[in-house]
Amino acid sequence: MISHGRILYALIIKDWLLFWSDRRTFFFSFLVPVILASAFGLVFERPAPGTASYPRLPVSVVVEDSGPFTEAMVRELLVSPHLQAQQVDRATAMVAVRRHRVPVAIIIPEGFEHAATQRKSLWERPKSESRPQLELLYDASRRGEAEWASGILAEILLKQLCSQQLSPWMSADWQSWLPFQVVTVPVAYHSQSRFNTYTHSFCGMTLQYLLFWGMESGLLFLRERRGAVWWRLRAVAAPLKTLVAAKVLTTAGVGCLQVLVTFTFGWLVFRVTIDGSLVGFVLICLAMCLLAAATGLLVAAWGNVEGHARNISIVVILSVSMLGGLWLPAFLLPEWVREVAMVLPTTWAMQGLSAVTWQGAPFRTVLPEFAGVCAFSFLLFLLAVGRLHYLEKRSV
Amino acid sequence: MRGQDEAVLFWDGVSVFYGACRAVDNVSLTVRAGEVVALTGPNGSGKSTLLRVAAGVCQLDAGRVWIHGRERKSDPRAYARQVGWSPQQSGLYEELTVEENLRLFGRLQGLYGSRLHQNVQRILDQFGLGPRRRQRVGTLSGGWKQRVNVAAALVHSPPVVLLDEPTSGLDGESRDRLLVDISRLREQGCSIVLATHQTEEVAAVADRVVQMHNGRLLEPCTDGFSASASRQRVMLWGQLRCHPPRFVLRLVRQRIPDDVNLELIGKRLRLCADSPETLGHALAELLREGVAFESYRMVAHRVTRRAS
Repeated sequence: MISHGRILYALIIKDWLLFWSDRRTFFFSFLVPVILASAFGLVFERPAPGTASYPRLPVSVVVEDSGPFTEAMVRELLVSPHLQAQQVDRATAMVAVRRHRVPVAIIIPEGFEHAATQRKSLWERPKSESRPQLELLYDASRRGEAEWASGILAEILLKQLCSQQLSPWMSADWQSWLPFQVVTVPVAYHSQSRFNTYTHSFCGMTLQYLLFWGMESGLLFLRERRGAVWWRLRAVAAPLKTLVAAKVLTTAGVGCLQVLVTFTFGWLVFRVTIDGSLVGFVLICLAMCLLAAATGLLVAAWGNVEGHARNISIVVILSVSMLGGLWLPAFLLPEWVREVAMVLPTTWAMQGLSAVTWQGAPFRTVLPEFAGVCAFSFLLFLLAVGRLHYLEKRSV
Repeated sequence: MRGQDEAVLFWDGVSVFYGACRAVDNVSLTVRAGEVVALTGPNGSGKSTLLRVAAGVCQLDAGRVWIHGRERKSDPRAYARQVGWSPQQSGLYEELTVEENLRLFGRLQGLYGSRLHQNVQRILDQFGLGPRRRQRVGTLSGGWKQRVNVAAALVHSPPVVLLDEPTSGLDGESRDRLLVDISRLREQGCSIVLATHQTEEVAAVADRVVQMHNGRLLEPCTDGFSASASRQRVMLWGQLRCHPPRFVLRLVRQRIPDDVNLELIGKRLRLCADSPETLGHALAELLREGVAFESYRMVAHRVTRRAS
């Protein structure tokens, strides 16, 4: 008497051997996610604010006027910790902005000194026609940088005006004269938590390549299903539920190995850590592996021609990866995209992973994400198994 | 031990429809223990469907199939253990090695441990697959792949073997090898049903040839057997050192009796006769005319001739 367990064991061994025999799948499951996660982390890595390597906004400064007020202002621009300013002439600045070398050029036009200093006091309301004009030329594709430069310029200009009007009462440390303080506080589950681009990229790429592995596993199942080997499996009285169970277990098992390899590499090389609940992390990863297995079953059940199924799956996986915030953090996406993305399992999985890794969330916090990913997996599983049963009835 | 006359496999009024198309129409056929039955007929005549029905991978619209008095639906796995089915297309995992494939299908049939190891080893030896055991199936030639395809059906030593077009797409040498393997299986007591449209070829190894057309047996019999008479048939397959001139073959054909079948394809020669004496006479004529053999193999078996 052959038990279901023995058939299941034989099928799992078979799928395991098939996985290791295919170098391409091995390469795409283990090496590519590690390489891409490292590359994404490297590209998007930013030093912490206040450090020497924190990026400054490159600007060109064009001075067409002269005078002590202008000179002081230019000096402030050149030494600003927020700017990487360089003084050039107007033609050079125009060329630099047009050719995308600098996003912004600040032009101090002729007559600026006179217009800026003619007021007797800060309380005197200036006439609109006599207000000094500053020009801000910006790269048309970089509006955000123009706004940033405008803010910094306003701060420096006001500081100079205050210094001029309140001198000699105001000391050089003008920040101490401000009637308020701005304190920046990073909000996370853990007080020591800091956003780490490598953690984000390793979470995202692991999830994306789990889905790709699910797709490969599904395509293998599709090949089996459409070939004579399927009938041979059915001839040995292997029930459909056992064949499906073997496929789910193998896909999820290889997925777990993939998560282990990717995160171990991230931890060893880029200090990617799990600051939150380890149990929560394991649960989310298990749910992701089940999602990959369900995705594979869906491909196997609804796919027809392998090439078409592969192409459609790749497009779908890349789309849900992008919308789910696997490539770039979700906060960079527009509001409507973030709202739409809530119907995607990748969004829930990524939120859960981010929470238990760099945000340091406790176990209970990620239970909704865990349940969400499991629910999506179950739904895909039902769709796949229903279709497989239908095809089975039709073909036997 | 089962008697030679015992019915092992029995199709009883089997009908199968593919949509509106009637693939098999009320077919009844019995296969005895140790018997080799060749199902022949043109493409689409229902041969493969009849085998698929017996293998349990095709649903019946009418009728029943028994193997050793057991129907598949009563105990599918026990039934499956009684049958070894080799599909027409290669039903193997091309990415796995020959041995891994055999082990997989052995495991799926409930073999494990030393029994699995012994059976796989036996099959590898029997089919001469030992040197290729670690080779991936996808890298094998068509002939070797087909041998593995057949071998995978036999790894659990089933009493009934169903071979669907086992020689299709094979070159002469591979075909001969496979036919020798099939002869050996019969010697081991297996009941074999072959589906083929190459009647001449399988006539050498089959005890009975049953023709199908449009899903029906051409010679329906009340007891499920074709009206037939058995006789001994002897066959020689030889590999020649060089191709003999045509006039030599013409000369030999004139000297040997009419019922001796002499075929030459390339350097392969096949002689088929009713008795070893007649075959020996034909062989002596060939040798006398200077036809030199590299190697040859003789097989003797019982052949059923239809009354028509």
